[in-house]
Amino acid sequence: MNQRSTSARALARSYRTERTLTFVFGLVAVLGAAAVFVVSFGVVGEYRARRALLDPLAVDWLGGHATLSKIVAIVLGVVLFVLGLRWFFRSLRPEGRPDLELDRSENPVTVTSSAIANAVQADAETVGGVSRARARAVGDSEHPALRLTLWLREGTDVRQVWAELDTRVLLRARESLGIEVLPTAVRIELESGNKRRVL
Amino acid sequence: MRVFVRLLSTLLALAVAAGGLVLALEVGWAWWRPGDTPLLVPWPQWRDRLAEVGWDSYAVRLTAGIAAGAGVILLLMSLSARRRDVRLHDPVTEVSVTTSPRSLARLVGHQVRAQDNVTGASVTASAKKVRVRATSRLEEENQIRPRLLEAVSALLDEVPLLKRPKVSVVVDSPKDRR
Repeated sequence: MNQRSTSARALARSYRTERTLTFVFGLVAVLGAAAVFVVSFGVVGEYRARRALLDPLAVDWLGGHATLSKIVAIVLGVVLFVLGLRWFFRSLRPEGRPDLELDRSENPVTVTSSAIANAVQADAETVGGVSRARARAVGDSEHPALRLTLWLREGTDVRQVWAELDTRVLLRARESLGIEVLPTAVRIELESGNKRRVL
Repeated sequence: MRVFVRLLSTLLALAVAAGGLVLALEVGWAWWRPGDTPLLVPWPQWRDRLAEVGWDSYAVRLTAGIAAGAGVILLLMSLSARRRDVRLHDPVTEVSVTTSPRSLARLVGHQVRAQDNVTGASVTASAKKVRVRATSRLEEENQIRPRLLEAVSALLDEVPLLKRPKVSVVVDSPKDRR
């Protein structure tokens, strides 16, 4: 993974897993319901549709393979339980704020996520046109990145802001940390100028 | 919507885990001590009930209908929970920049309102499309519309957007109604 994708991934929290699993769950529900409708409306045979939901044929088959069915059911239950729990804790987990591990060969240094966030935030708020700034460390400890949200006053030149941001704020952060690259995601919000507008 | 999908995803995960646990426990219990009362859920009653209901019964169709509806809602929600941010060009290689659609709309709205003879404007923006609806008391639509289009285009040239959105301008003018 290159640096570019690290900063791009830091732009917003990823919802891919949650979205995919929710999508799959919905798909299973829709397809299952469709299968039930197909049987229920006699597409696979009038006789089939009139039989009981828990068909004696199926019950007999399960009874004939009792041990195998029980083992399969227990394994399926355990697998669902484990996967469900993993999914649950993954969904609940807050977004990481990794500390920055600086590899200075003789004495390794750890910069806490809040320290770097506060420093960059204070620095970014001094940039002309920026009314408010918020910074936080995101990603994992392997690929840490900085997410910087800037609220700009109306009429501010965006190019001017990030020229200053790069040559001053981020440069200073990189220099003080002693690193070559600091993947950064910048989110720009434009404030509405006339906040005291009477409606 | 994105937060809601996370919440929903958490609940679904809990349901899957609970279902798996009950399945494994009940089957294991019934295997170990056949004939005993079930551990957590009264599945023998459920089994007897299911043996009475036919595939073509109303209850089965209703249940399938509810499941299909819930499934479609889940599909739509998971599809709509995408990012709506507007990407800008990366100024430097390790820096990525986005802005919110609302900010882009504000920027365009400010530009449009600064034009001559524009009484008011409302703007909606996404990464793909910017819609401007302006009102003018003094000029007709075919007079002012090209000017507004040009102004918005000039603005979008200045903002380093990754993909240039399409611009549509509609002007509402009382002069057109005469």
